[in-house]
Amino acid sequence: MGLWLEPNSNGRTYCSSLSCNFRNLPQVQLRSRIVDTPISNRRTEMTMERQQREEEKKPQTSENDKDEKVVQFLDSLNDYLTLMDSLSSALRQGWLELASARHSMGSWRINSAILDHKFHSASTTLQLSSPDDSNYNMKQPHFTLRKWESCDDEDFQSKEVKLDEDEVQKNSDDVQVQKERSKTLLVFGALVSPKLRDAQLSFETALETLVDIANRRSVMLSAYDHVREEILGTKQ
Amino acid sequence: MANRTPIPTNNSALIAMIADEDTVTGFLMAGVGNVDLRRKTNYLIVDSKTTVKAIEDAFKEFTTREDIAVVLISQYVANMIRFLVDGYNKPVPAILEIPSKDHPYDPAQDSVLSRVKHLFSTESVASGRR
Repeated sequence: MGLWLEPNSNGRTYCSSLSCNFRNLPQVQLRSRIVDTPISNRRTEMTMERQQREEEKKPQTSENDKDEKVVQFLDSLNDYLTLMDSLSSALRQGWLELASARHSMGSWRINSAILDHKFHSASTTLQLSSPDDSNYNMKQPHFTLRKWESCDDEDFQSKEVKLDEDEVQKNSDDVQVQKERSKTLLVFGALVSPKLRDAQLSFETALETLVDIANRRSVMLSAYDHVREEILGTKQ
Repeated sequence: MANRTPIPTNNSALIAMIADEDTVTGFLMAGVGNVDLRRKTNYLIVDSKTTVKAIEDAFKEFTTREDIAVVLISQYVANMIRFLVDGYNKPVPAILEIPSKDHPYDPAQDSVLSRVKHLFSTESVASGRR
């Protein structure tokens, strides 16, 4: 409730009071509140009022930015810890299945001595990229898991297929992945326990979780650096 | 500042491991094992006979190789070379501390969480998760 300055078509400003205190004023007193001002002065006053309102909003906007960064940091921290719990579960399952396989196949068939020390490339690798986030000055690494990719270049080229052949390509990819999985287990012998295959899948799941953890880690560290900069900036 | 250095992109980066036999065997079954022409591997199996020097050398080698994007290290092994792990602050390769069979994951000992704990009290990061 208060006085409002409103322009009319004649460029004159007048006060229209919303307060009940002014209702009982006689007409003479109300007329005395009508002020004749030139249009340019009135526009200058309005511009100044608008600037004052914008300056009052600026601290609120920077506070919102700070809060957003802190929330992002806390979210990434929570995700990191949650993913660590998932990783622990996947690893526990993998260790248990590996122990079961060792029990059924014999410890001499599953140990580090029989690991392949001949030249071979990793079938599961990571794609490391650096997405440029325009909001931040620092770049953070992004990891993408590439599972069971053959060294054969033809397999990569054949992935660009027509829509009609998607299902056929997907089936052939699955077959290729199964071949790669079986090839990896050949180190332990031609016939392996089903528990060993289950352990392989559990460790693959753990690997996917680890890549998520790596991405969350980089987001968390980036957000932490931003929050710390804000705090140091505030203190100065 | 380490984060301001440009991050090299790589389409087929490796995952290195410094862990116990079962953990390394499991991840090798997942296809991450790599042996180059000089018979250098991307993993180190840590047992009772492995020296701290060997672990340090492996950590330094894996963190300086350009073809490695992530280094997995069991947390109990990381505790043996804690000064090296905590002193590492490059974004790539990323050092991830993982649990082992006999040593579950402890957030209070994680080097990444230790770095960010200054924003919190030392108890709040670990206590609420148990």
